[in-house]
Amino acid sequence: MILSLAWKNIWRSKRRSFVVMSAVAIGVWSIIFMVSFYNSMIGAISRNSLQHDYSHIQIHHEGYLSEPGLGFQVKKPSMLMKFPSQIPDIEAVSARLIVNGMVASPKTNLGIQVYAIDPADERAVTALSGFLIAGDYFTNIKRNPILLSQKLAEKLKVKVRSKVVITVQDLEANIRAGAFRVSGIFHSKSPRINNGVIYVRHEDLSKLINLPDTAFNEFAYLLKNNESLIETKQMMEAKTNNLVRTYREIAPEFDMIEEGSAISKQVITVIVMLALLFGIINTMLMAVLERTKEIGMLRAIGMFKSKIFFMIVLETFMISWVAAPMGLMAGFLTNLYFEKMGGLDLSQYAGALEQYGGDAIFYPAIAQSTYLLLMLVVMMTALIGAIYPAIKAVNLKPLEAIRKL
Amino acid sequence: MKVIELKNLSKIYNPETIPVRAINDITLSVEEGEFTAIVGPSGCGKTTLLNMIGGLDISSEGSVDIGGVSINEMSESELTAFRLQHIGFVFQAYNLIPVLTAKENIEFIMVLQNRDAKTMQERSDDLLDRMGIKDQRDRRPSELSGGQQQRVAVARALASRPKFVLADEPTANLDSGSTEALLDIMAKLNKEEMITFIFSTHDQRVIDRAKRIIKLVDGEIVSDEQL
Repeated sequence: MILSLAWKNIWRSKRRSFVVMSAVAIGVWSIIFMVSFYNSMIGAISRNSLQHDYSHIQIHHEGYLSEPGLGFQVKKPSMLMKFPSQIPDIEAVSARLIVNGMVASPKTNLGIQVYAIDPADERAVTALSGFLIAGDYFTNIKRNPILLSQKLAEKLKVKVRSKVVITVQDLEANIRAGAFRVSGIFHSKSPRINNGVIYVRHEDLSKLINLPDTAFNEFAYLLKNNESLIETKQMMEAKTNNLVRTYREIAPEFDMIEEGSAISKQVITVIVMLALLFGIINTMLMAVLERTKEIGMLRAIGMFKSKIFFMIVLETFMISWVAAPMGLMAGFLTNLYFEKMGGLDLSQYAGALEQYGGDAIFYPAIAQSTYLLLMLVVMMTALIGAIYPAIKAVNLKPLEAIRKL
Repeated sequence: MKVIELKNLSKIYNPETIPVRAINDITLSVEEGEFTAIVGPSGCGKTTLLNMIGGLDISSEGSVDIGGVSINEMSESELTAFRLQHIGFVFQAYNLIPVLTAKENIEFIMVLQNRDAKTMQERSDDLLDRMGIKDQRDRRPSELSGGQQQRVAVARALASRPKFVLADEPTANLDSGSTEALLDIMAKLNKEEMITFIFSTHDQRVIDRAKRIIKLVDGEIVSDEQL
């Protein structure tokens, strides 16, 4: 009957209960929406950097990190090319020769990184061909084609088939310059690549700086899934004496972004829960104070303090038990709606989002365990919120209540 | 058999500053089956005396024995348990739980006593019947008249099978008809089942029905009449 009494007590003041339940439900919904939004944004940034820039694993010569350039080329490149057939979780590999240089157009020149690649291999690893917005993927220009980003093209004031001159140093530090023609203009999802990378064919750069076809200073590997990252890295390390690094080792900002995101989500959750906490305390305190006489009478006729405490906690729990699933359901349905609608279009903020490597479309992403976790957090908040009003209730003196009768 | 025995009972407020003796050296006993009215002017100490008998207030001096058990030295939780098992309360303002029906209000005290469902059902049906409010069993207090609410309150007080019932101005909020009806019921219960009732009252209609009248003035018994 105490259960039934607690439930009935909630509905004594329907409006007040409805308001606090709405607050809990909206709070829960907003957390789900914000967490989904963060997950979507951070997921896009990580995914874009991973799939279109760093790849899962890169191999360099041990000395490359201290002196990036042509001096430290990877050892036994032919063996590294065979890894996809030897290690099951590797999806594709792209061998690169990366060198710093200058690109000059009739209007201006810019410092850039030249990525000398095999177009087919690079396409398999970074999906570079998919980002073309003009021209095509190295096929429309027979001699010395290059791909550059829209941003660089605008800076250089060039378009497809325009001629540019690339200047680099060879192994002996001689300046070598070659004329190239813009085969395609792309817009990558990686800000780093958009800001300063141009792609040429490996054979063209090798010829320009007199290096053999087997000269590479970077191997990038795309894995079939992220779960086998460490295991695959260890298998690679067992087969080569080059430096093997995962994308997390190459770009520590991945961890920073994820940790920052996790902290942000926790802070938002704490803020919302604090607001709910004070709402719950306020509501329950009002409910207790309104029932001073009644609680005093219950104490007088023999209701133990523990049962009164339990009843008030139960009332608070019930409010949350009703409201939290409503908020969870609203959050779930909101995410479902955006999934069905093809995501939330944030194109008006595309510029800002792309600066961070994010996507302009928000695809809600939330782990199912988050719903359970959130339910537990709300229950904990309700429990904490119930304590003070419940203590207030049990401390009421029956005699004082009787005197008011 | 003595149900209540008070020995040299006093209640002093503000003992350290300006002592006020609300109850002054009262010694009395109440036998099983008495129908006692404690009367006197406002502020004479009726309610204070009732509160001390009911274990709701602590005496400054003297002792309170209920059924041979001294309640003076009991802890708060022991007193709560004692009240639950041995004392029935009827309040001036009925003080029913507004969200429960008449039947649920009666059964609530038995829930606190951990009685089984069958016992509760039988007891509440019996009490509703004897109080003449069987038809109102599923109504909430707000749907009942004042007289009906007070009958539910009496039924609730009796539901726990207490040694006695303390009623503080039980008819103060009732009209004449309801007062007479309630007094008829309580008198009948007293006569047929030897249920002990102790009232504090100003109401002459209650005083007229009482078998014993204890008159208090300034916290002291000035007369104690057996009728």
